[in-house]
Amino acid sequence: MGNKQTVFTHEQLEAYQDCTFFTRKEIMRLFYRYQDLAPQLVPLDYTTCPDVKVPYELIGSMPELKDNPFRQRIAQVFSEDGDGHMTLDNFLDMFSVMSEMAPRDLKAYYAFKIYDFNDDDYICAWDLEQTVTKLTRGELSAEEVSLVCEKVLDEADGDHDGRLSLEDFQNMILRAPDFLSTFHIRI
Amino acid sequence: MLSDDHVNEIIIEKLIASLIPMTSRDRIKAIRNQPRTMEEKRNLSKGGLTIMTESEGRAKARLTWKIVDKEKSKQTHRILQLNCCVQCLNSISRAYRRSKNSLSEILNSISLWQKTLKIIGGKFGTSVLSYFNFLRWLLKFNIFSFIVNFSFIIIPQFAVAEKNTLQFTGLELFTGVVTGITGLCHQVQLIFLFLVEMGFCILVSAFSSMAKYFRDNFINPHIYSGGITKLIFCWDFTVTHEKAVKLKQKNLSTEIRENLSELRQENAKLTFKQQLTRFSAYVMAWVVSTGVAIACCAAVYYLAEYNLEFLKTHSNPGAVLLLPFVVSCINLAVPCIYSMFRLVERYEMPRHEVYILLIRNIFLKISIIGILCYYWLNNVALSGEECWETLIGQDIYRLLLMDFVFSLADSFLGEFLRRIIGMQLITSLGLPEFDIARNVLELIYAQTLVWIGIFFCPLLPLIQMIMLFIMFYAKNISLMMNFQPPSKAWRASQMMTFFILLLFFPSFTGVLCTLAITIWRLKPSADCGPFRGLPFFIHSIYSWIDTLSTRPGYLWVVWIYRNLIGSVHFFFILTLIVLIITYLYWQITEGRKIMIRLLHEQIINEGKDKMFLIEKLIKLQDMEKKANPSSLVLESREVEQQDALHLGERDGSLDLRFRRSVQEGNPRA
Repeated sequence: MGNKQTVFTHEQLEAYQDCTFFTRKEIMRLFYRYQDLAPQLVPLDYTTCPDVKVPYELIGSMPELKDNPFRQRIAQVFSEDGDGHMTLDNFLDMFSVMSEMAPRDLKAYYAFKIYDFNDDDYICAWDLEQTVTKLTRGELSAEEVSLVCEKVLDEADGDHDGRLSLEDFQNMILRAPDFLSTFHIRI
Repeated sequence: MLSDDHVNEIIIEKLIASLIPMTSRDRIKAIRNQPRTMEEKRNLSKGGLTIMTESEGRAKARLTWKIVDKEKSKQTHRILQLNCCVQCLNSISRAYRRSKNSLSEILNSISLWQKTLKIIGGKFGTSVLSYFNFLRWLLKFNIFSFIVNFSFIIIPQFAVAEKNTLQFTGLELFTGVVTGITGLCHQVQLIFLFLVEMGFCILVSAFSSMAKYFRDNFINPHIYSGGITKLIFCWDFTVTHEKAVKLKQKNLSTEIRENLSELRQENAKLTFKQQLTRFSAYVMAWVVSTGVAIACCAAVYYLAEYNLEFLKTHSNPGAVLLLPFVVSCINLAVPCIYSMFRLVERYEMPRHEVYILLIRNIFLKISIIGILCYYWLNNVALSGEECWETLIGQDIYRLLLMDFVFSLADSFLGEFLRRIIGMQLITSLGLPEFDIARNVLELIYAQTLVWIGIFFCPLLPLIQMIMLFIMFYAKNISLMMNFQPPSKAWRASQMMTFFILLLFFPSFTGVLCTLAITIWRLKPSADCGPFRGLPFFIHSIYSWIDTLSTRPGYLWVVWIYRNLIGSVHFFFILTLIVLIITYLYWQITEGRKIMIRLLHEQIINEGKDKMFLIEKLIKLQDMEKKANPSSLVLESREVEQQDALHLGERDGSLDLRFRRSVQEGNPRA
C-alpha cells in the first residue's frame, strides 16, 4: 500500500494507529466502509478534518449491526452527543473497542455503558428489564422478566445497594471467560 | 465545591503524570487502553494538553512527549554514560518491533479461510466456530510438520536413493517409496528431529493455551453458581445473521426459563428409592459401555491377527482393507449406541450428560488405538516379517484413508438423510445440531494416527494436510445445508483449550509411549529402512555419540549427553525444581484468593457505611427542617451537588487509584 493514499495526512494516520488497535491497512479499509455508508456525505479527503456525521439509520443498517439487539445502544454509547450519529472518529473507536485486540477492562467498561440504558452510571433494575426484553424479544412474560432481574441483582450486586456499579459488573465479567470472545464484532 | 470539569482535569493530570515515566511503547499501549473518546486519546498521544474549562478559562502548558523523552534520555545519558549501547539497544528493539508488526500483517493477510469463518461464526455462533478454528490450527500444524520433515529427512533420503525392493500397489505408493529407500547418512537426525519437533510444537502451544485456560477459569475463588447473569451479559455479538439472531433469542429465552425452573426445583429431594434406581441406572450404563468398548477391542485384535495369518497365505488386495473397514464401522456405530443411553440415564444437568458421553467416546477411541498399537508392536514387529516398519506404515495409511472416506460419506450422505428425515418425515425432530464433540474427537483420532505413523512413514503429514483441507470444505457445505445453530450455550472460549488439552494428554503421551517402546525395545528390520542392521533403533544414537567422542571438537555434546540426558540425578533435580516452583505459585494463588475474599467483604462493608451515613444525613436534614424551614432549599442543593460529585467521580472510570486520590482531595461530607 505504501504512501499512495490521499485520504489522511501521515500524522493523522499515525495518530489513528496509536489510538486504535488497527493497523494502517485496516484503518483504510474501515474508512472505505464508513464512506460506503453515505457516499454523498463523507468526503474522500479527510486532511482538512471535516466535521461529518453519518446518521444513525445508516449506521444501524450495516450488516454487522443490523440484527444486533443492542445496535441502538452501541451507536449511542460511541457517538459524540449520545444520539447515535457517528463521526469517523466514533466509528473507528467503536470497532476498535469491539475488535479482538481490545483488552478485557476496556470492553467491560463499554459493555457496562451499553447496558446502562438511562446513562446514570449504574445498571438498575429498569436497565436490566430493558436488557432482558431486548435479548428475549418478548418471549418471556413480565413476571419472568422481573424474576430474572431480581436473580441477577442477587448474584452480581456486591455492595448490596440494589443496582450494579461498574465494579460489580467488572467483577462479574471476570468470572465469565466467554466475555472476550462474545463481545466482539468482526469487520 | 469542585466542578465536573475540574475533576476531569485532575484525573487527566494524574494520568499524564503516570504516563511520563513509561517508555514510548508502553505509553502508546496505555493510551490505547483508555476508555476515552478518540479526540482525547489523540490529544494525550500528541502530548498537547489544553483544557479550556468554560467557567474558569484555564490553559495548561503544552507538553509534548518529544520534550519529555528528550529530558529522560538526557537523564539516562548522564546516569548511564553508555550512550552508544543504549542507542544501539533502542534501535534494535525498534527494528524488532517494526519487523514483528509487518510479519503479523503478512500473516493476517494470508490467513486461511478468514471470510468463511466469519460467515460460520455469524450464522452458528462461537461454539461451532471453535471446531473450525481447531481444524485450521491442526492444518497449520501439519503444514509445519510436513515442511520440517520434508527438508530434513526426505530430501537427504532422495539424495542417496537406491532401488527399492518392495512390491506395492497404487495405494501403497507413498509408504513404499519412502521406507524402501535406503542409505540415509544422517539417520540420527531422524530420531532427534521427530522427538524434538513434535514435542516442542505441541508443548509450547499446549502449555501456553493450558496456562491461559487455568488462569482464566480457576484463579477465581468463587465457583460461579447459577449462570443467569452470564446468560444476560454475555450475548454473542458475533452472530450477525437475522435468522440466527432470532433463533438465538428464542434459545436464550428457553434457557432462562429452564434456569428459573431449576432454581424453583432446587430444593426438591428425591426419595431413597428414586435415588437407588438412578444410581443403578448409572452403574449399568457404565458397565455396558465399558463392556462394549472392551468387546470391540477384542474383536479388532483377533480380526487383525486372523488377517495377518490370512494374508501370509493368500494375497487378496481387498482383504487388506477389511481391518480398517471394521475399525471405521465401530467408530461410527458405537458412539450412536452410547448416545442412546441418554434414554435410560437421567442427569440433573444437561452439561453432565455431554461430559459423560465425551468421556465414553474418548475411552473407546483411545482403547482402539491402544489395541492396534499393541498389535503392531507385539505381533507385526516381532513376527519376523521383512520390512515390518513398512507394513505398519501401510496399515496406518489405510486406516486414515478409510476413516476419511467414512467421514466424507457421513457428511454428504448421513447428515443429508438426517435432514430429510427431520424435515419431511418426522417433523418434530427438526434440523439436527452440529455435534461439536464428536467431530472434534474424530479430528483428534486422525491426528493421533498421523503422529504414530510419522515414524514409519514420514509423508503422512502431507496426506493429513490434504485430508484436512478437503474435510474443511465438506463440513462447511454440510453445515450450511443440513444443520441449525446450537440451542444450548457452550462455553466456547474453553473449548479450544480443552480440545488442545485433549490432544495433548491422552493422544500425545500415548504416541510418545509407543515411540519410546519402538525406539528402545524393538529390533529394526534387517533389510529395509535407514536403521537396518542395528540391534535396536536407539543404537544409532549410541554409535553417533561414540563417533563424536573421537572428535575433539564435539566433546561438549558428548558431555551433555552423558551427564545431563543420560544421568538420573539431573532429571531428579529438574523435577524437584519444577515442583518447588509449582508449590510457590500455588501458595501465591491461595494468598490472593484470601485477599480477594477480604476485599470483597470490605466492599460490602463500605456499602453499608455509605447507607448508614446517608440515612444519618437525611435524619439531620429532617431535624433541621423542623427547626429552620428557610435554610431548607440551600442545604438540599448542597446535598445534590455532593451526589453529583460522587457521580462525577465515577464518570470516566479509570484506575481505582485515580478515583481514590481525587476522593481524598475532596472535603468529605
